[in-house]
Amino acid sequence: MLDQAFEALKKFDYGTPLSDIQAIEDAVVASNKDEAARKAIEQRLIQALGSPISRDAKDYICRQLALVGSAASVPAVARLLANEGNAHLARHALERIPGVEAEAALASAAKSLTGKLQLGAIGSLGVCGKSVAIATLANLLSHTDSAVVRGAALSLGAIGGVEAANALQSAMKAVRGDKNLMIDALLSCAESLLKQKKSKEATAIYSALAEDNQPRLVRLAAARGLLACAGA
Amino acid sequence: MKIRSLFWIPIAIALCSSPPNVQADNDALVTQVVKLLSNSDHEFRAAGLEVIRTSAKGSENTKTFAAQLPKLEPEAQTALISALGDRGDVAAKPAVLEQLTNKQESVRVAALIALGEIGSLAEFPSLINALQKGTNLEQKASASALIRMAGATVSEKIGMESKSAKPEVRSKLIEILAARRATSEAPVIIAATTDDDSAVRTAAMNALGQIGQPEQLAAILPGLLKSSRGNERNNAERNIAEICKRISNEDERGNALIAVLNTVDASQRDELMSLVGRVGGKRLISFVADIATSSDVSRRAFGIDALSKWPDASPADTLLKIANDTKDDAERRQAFAAFVKVCANRDNRNDKQRLERMKQAMKEARNLEEKTAVINRTRTAYDVESMRFVRPFLDEPELSQIACETIVELAHHRNVRNPHKEEFDVVLDKVIALAKNEEWIERAKRYKRGETWERQR
Repeated sequence: MLDQAFEALKKFDYGTPLSDIQAIEDAVVASNKDEAARKAIEQRLIQALGSPISRDAKDYICRQLALVGSAASVPAVARLLANEGNAHLARHALERIPGVEAEAALASAAKSLTGKLQLGAIGSLGVCGKSVAIATLANLLSHTDSAVVRGAALSLGAIGGVEAANALQSAMKAVRGDKNLMIDALLSCAESLLKQKKSKEATAIYSALAEDNQPRLVRLAAARGLLACAGA
Repeated sequence: MKIRSLFWIPIAIALCSSPPNVQADNDALVTQVVKLLSNSDHEFRAAGLEVIRTSAKGSENTKTFAAQLPKLEPEAQTALISALGDRGDVAAKPAVLEQLTNKQESVRVAALIALGEIGSLAEFPSLINALQKGTNLEQKASASALIRMAGATVSEKIGMESKSAKPEVRSKLIEILAARRATSEAPVIIAATTDDDSAVRTAAMNALGQIGQPEQLAAILPGLLKSSRGNERNNAERNIAEICKRISNEDERGNALIAVLNTVDASQRDELMSLVGRVGGKRLISFVADIATSSDVSRRAFGIDALSKWPDASPADTLLKIANDTKDDAERRQAFAAFVKVCANRDNRNDKQRLERMKQAMKEARNLEEKTAVINRTRTAYDVESMRFVRPFLDEPELSQIACETIVELAHHRNVRNPHKEEFDVVLDKVIALAKNEEWIERAKRYKRGETWERQR
């Protein structure tokens, strides 16, 4: 059944009944508690991804690798990040594949790609990024394209933590125009710090944002943050 | 051994008290809140007030917050008092009480309301004073506080006060007892139903309508007999009917009311027939019908009046028979008007059944007054057929105005009007041409445009 499904995958395209390849999904689900089976199905999916198949077939594989993929899948999936047709599902998979390899692949794409593909990679780093992504995103805060700066700031805010906050605070000093985006991201960082019980670090951010030179709504958010830091 | 025990005491005390970092956090929080309270921007103050309402627990903190009251502007004072009330810590009470003499009404009102949460019987005189001498808002705030104030003896105290206070305060205290659902004070409320002041009597009847029990009916009837005819009597009857409704079984309800009526002097019993009508039910209908058809003319009037107040159309045939059989013009008028009234009741019958009764009434109508009554009451049958029934009367000069009014009332109901819009538009045009009342014309125009109309209250 599974062999037939992989055979069908070679001809799979938009409009083909999903029932033809249902056995692949069944095998992915069945491998949930069987490491050997997971590796086996992952290998077959990687192999198929490298073969000349349709865009929809590749998307389908990315969806399955999001469930069973490991570091071994990263190179094959990362190659799709530069492909406008498959980049979205490739990021979908990489955001969910555990380990630093996926994060590193996305960071590399965020540096090397341009346009919407670059923004997509930056956004994905905000979803799955941990420490590795921060340096890449911090560098992008000084990018000439404002959309890239915006994406990097939002992703740093989503990642949160002290390092992300430091990167944002450093970059904010250099910003001459609208700082609201950076401030939003900083508030996100402070909230994540608060969740991690790092109230001292969160207090430092909120205190800076509570100063009189900040816009009213920022001061209000900071005031509420300071109350939360103090245990309210 | 003893020395070793003593050695542990300071350590135990230290462990029981707040750890240093917890204390520091609390101090930081209180400082932040105090700072926010004096902010001129109300949204910043709101952030601090939210903390006062929900966290930063402890009497010492409460006192610190309350101590800010004299330093604040009236708007901020009002908000802080409200938050302290919601916090519910009696430690704020002294500071809140001081604000009862504040120059600003809004602050005094907030303080009175807060006493509902943090006050006790000790504040009773202040609240009664505000209820008696305060501004309209202070009176409402004081009543609100007395309604919410917790404590087993609060209702008892209000009940006692209601016996001796001035009439205008007495009626308010009775309303408060009802709002507190103070059934334990029912004897006090029942006694007030025979008060010399009509406002007190009315308040007591309203209170019993909310919390009275069927077993108290016999004790309440003297209050009904003391009520003045007209609005006060109608109000009292409505409330007693509400008490009767707490007996769910219709027959049991009828039996209970008859039993209570038997405790009243026979000469007064007929006066209570109107109440029987409001309660309704099969068990009572024959009881009242006997009176309505008795040989005594004055008793018959009471009986017909009672049947006219029936909550459904069940006495319709009895009333029509009385109307047709009587040789007395006044009785005919009373019985026919009662017949039309009960036929129009919006009870369990559907609109078509109601309309059939109206058609029957029109056939039985003998003069213009009776026909006018029928056309007028047809508005309670929300059906296009009702409009079709009334429409021909637009051409009768003496009935055209009441027909105009009824058609406008029927057109008010979208569900009746919209499915037959074209037909209604034609008849509304006729109403616009014929009606002498500006409001009906305006309403007819609005309904034609698919607009609604807000009834003046």
